[in-house]
Amino acid sequence: MRKLLAVWAGKMLTAAGRLAGKKSSSSPGEYAMRLYPDLAKELKKCVKKGVIVTCGTNGKTTTNNLMCSALEAKGYRVLCNRLGANMLNGIVTAMIQEMNIFGRLSVDYACLEIDEAYTPIVFDYIKPDVMIITNLFRDQLDRYGEIDITSDIIKRAVAKIGGLKLVLNGDDPLCVQFGREKGVIPYYYGISEKVLPQCDDTKEGRFCPVCGAEQVYNYYHYSQLGDYYCPSCGFRRPHIDFDVKNVKLSPLMEFTINGKQMKVNYKGFYNIYNLIAVYGALDVMGEGTDDFAGLLKAYKPQIGRMQEFSFNKPVILSLSKNPAGFNQAIATVNTDERKKDVIVAINDKANDGRDVSWLWDVDFDKIKNDRLNMLVTTGIRVWDISLRFKYEDIDVDLITSSMREAVKACLKTDSEVCYVLVNYTALYSTEAVLNSLLKNGGGNDD
Amino acid sequence: MIDLKILHLYPDLLNLYGDRGNIACLVKRLEWRGMSAKTEKYTCDDTKPFDLSDVDIVFIGGGSDREQKIVCHRLLEHKKQLKEYVEDGGALIAVCGGYQLLGKYYKLEDETIEGLDILDIYTEQGKKRLIGNVVLESDMIGGKIVGFENHGGRTHIGSHTPLGRVVYGFGNDDKSGYEGVAYKNVVATYLHGPLLPKNPRLCDYVLTRAIKRRHPDFSGLEPIDDALEITANEYIVNRFKP
Repeated sequence: MRKLLAVWAGKMLTAAGRLAGKKSSSSPGEYAMRLYPDLAKELKKCVKKGVIVTCGTNGKTTTNNLMCSALEAKGYRVLCNRLGANMLNGIVTAMIQEMNIFGRLSVDYACLEIDEAYTPIVFDYIKPDVMIITNLFRDQLDRYGEIDITSDIIKRAVAKIGGLKLVLNGDDPLCVQFGREKGVIPYYYGISEKVLPQCDDTKEGRFCPVCGAEQVYNYYHYSQLGDYYCPSCGFRRPHIDFDVKNVKLSPLMEFTINGKQMKVNYKGFYNIYNLIAVYGALDVMGEGTDDFAGLLKAYKPQIGRMQEFSFNKPVILSLSKNPAGFNQAIATVNTDERKKDVIVAINDKANDGRDVSWLWDVDFDKIKNDRLNMLVTTGIRVWDISLRFKYEDIDVDLITSSMREAVKACLKTDSEVCYVLVNYTALYSTEAVLNSLLKNGGGNDD
Repeated sequence: MIDLKILHLYPDLLNLYGDRGNIACLVKRLEWRGMSAKTEKYTCDDTKPFDLSDVDIVFIGGGSDREQKIVCHRLLEHKKQLKEYVEDGGALIAVCGGYQLLGKYYKLEDETIEGLDILDIYTEQGKKRLIGNVVLESDMIGGKIVGFENHGGRTHIGSHTPLGRVVYGFGNDDKSGYEGVAYKNVVATYLHGPLLPKNPRLCDYVLTRAIKRRHPDFSGLEPIDDALEITANEYIVNRFKP
């Protein structure tokens, strides 16, 4: 009975939130768990085939949603915390929303994105069958402490589950270390050729996770991802089970997975990782992957993943949360040959990380080239990001506290495309600005 | 023509969060005045002799506890040279982990990391990490220093002069109300990452001291346009008014 009360309370809170125009992605679950703390433990009973969880610094929302979308395309019923609310309360909220009024839920799969720091808590309630770990980068240090701490937390979580199948990014030594833990069954995916120009960006994870010596790389993809080995203890990039080669990034992204040709409508090298993680997890669950490209067609990217808005020129919104993400976003902007304007918005709210020091770890100098027309800075930390450009001797054409002004200024230039690079909390407000400008006829409202 | 040599110590291990912003700031603020600086790195793999005789500014950044342990072994090999360099008035900027390593020791829960003993200070690991924006009032530069701190250690600076009084934030030990150490031409602080870009006076202070050591009759740095830097600094000061 307590369980039913908890489910109803959660459902009512969700409905109330909806009326108030809010997407309640975690508070209903939070409240329901206060009434019935073990609600999350019921999940396993509701899932027929398997629970697949996704962790990692970058790409977990995309990977998790792609996973869900691919399984749905196969005709399965899937529970997914699609909104990216990735702590226990977010997962319970997703459960409640899918439950009927009798508190029953029956799905084939659960695809759950989980915040790394919360994995040990979540695993006390929900035992996953497969866990994908995408990568570990320096991210929001003021919240997590250090990468070493995050690694230890994940190890603690993994140890709680016997026989856990891990689908790991084999190009990331920090992910591969989890495959060496007791009792796990590891599978690795990776990109097995040099694709990008080799550059000297921040490789915070370049030390051997086993012995601490500096690893040697045959090639890098970005950050510490690549083909590495430790000259001291012999730790090296493992045998890759899901192997990408023959990569072409434009005009359409093309590559092969284990020799199978893929052509996908995605931007950004990093998306290859998200795609092969899903491919690997499907395979590990015994699901067919013959029509993998077909399975992906139904997938709609979340907001801010190179999301295009059609004004008199395309305005492309890109979310990045940390140096690795920003460097990849800048690399993607630079593969676009059109004359362009770039807006960079930096906030420092709790979900962004209060500390903006990481801006100095981003290779912002690479934004400057002969295709860059206007550069605009905005956001709560507009002065920090503007200073960052000053110390690269890059002129910022407009510094403004208003995203609306920033976009309007770019719509007036003769550039062919405009990129808006934002961090987390700037995302939704920017999307709202872009939608409102679209409604008002492309920003000619003054 | 003034041309300084900046030595970045162990950037392969100690590079937590944007330390390169500090190096960039030192270099750019010289270049914008028609001077120059070359930056050299001394990494863990370096086998070249550790020679500070032509070095004008030494920079030591922050790192994780694990990385600090590795570094302290390497640094201790050069203890004598570093101590002599500092006593001779050599400029040294040490941030976060680098700051702790300048002291006598850093006592962690299960072990103690020996320091360089350049400053008469010691650090002990505290329970909670001290994290947040910081504003200091610094007599040394005659103004406010702003930054961000994130440290588990509590540093006790004894009779040393602090870098500044804490106006907002935790500081050295969350109790004394002081932050950092200023000793001879050493600036040691928990304010990590890009400390110097938002504190151009502090940057120029270090540059001036370094130049004067090499050129005693140097008359001082000419002013440059710091409007953006000052705005960025004042934004933090005003936002985090106690």
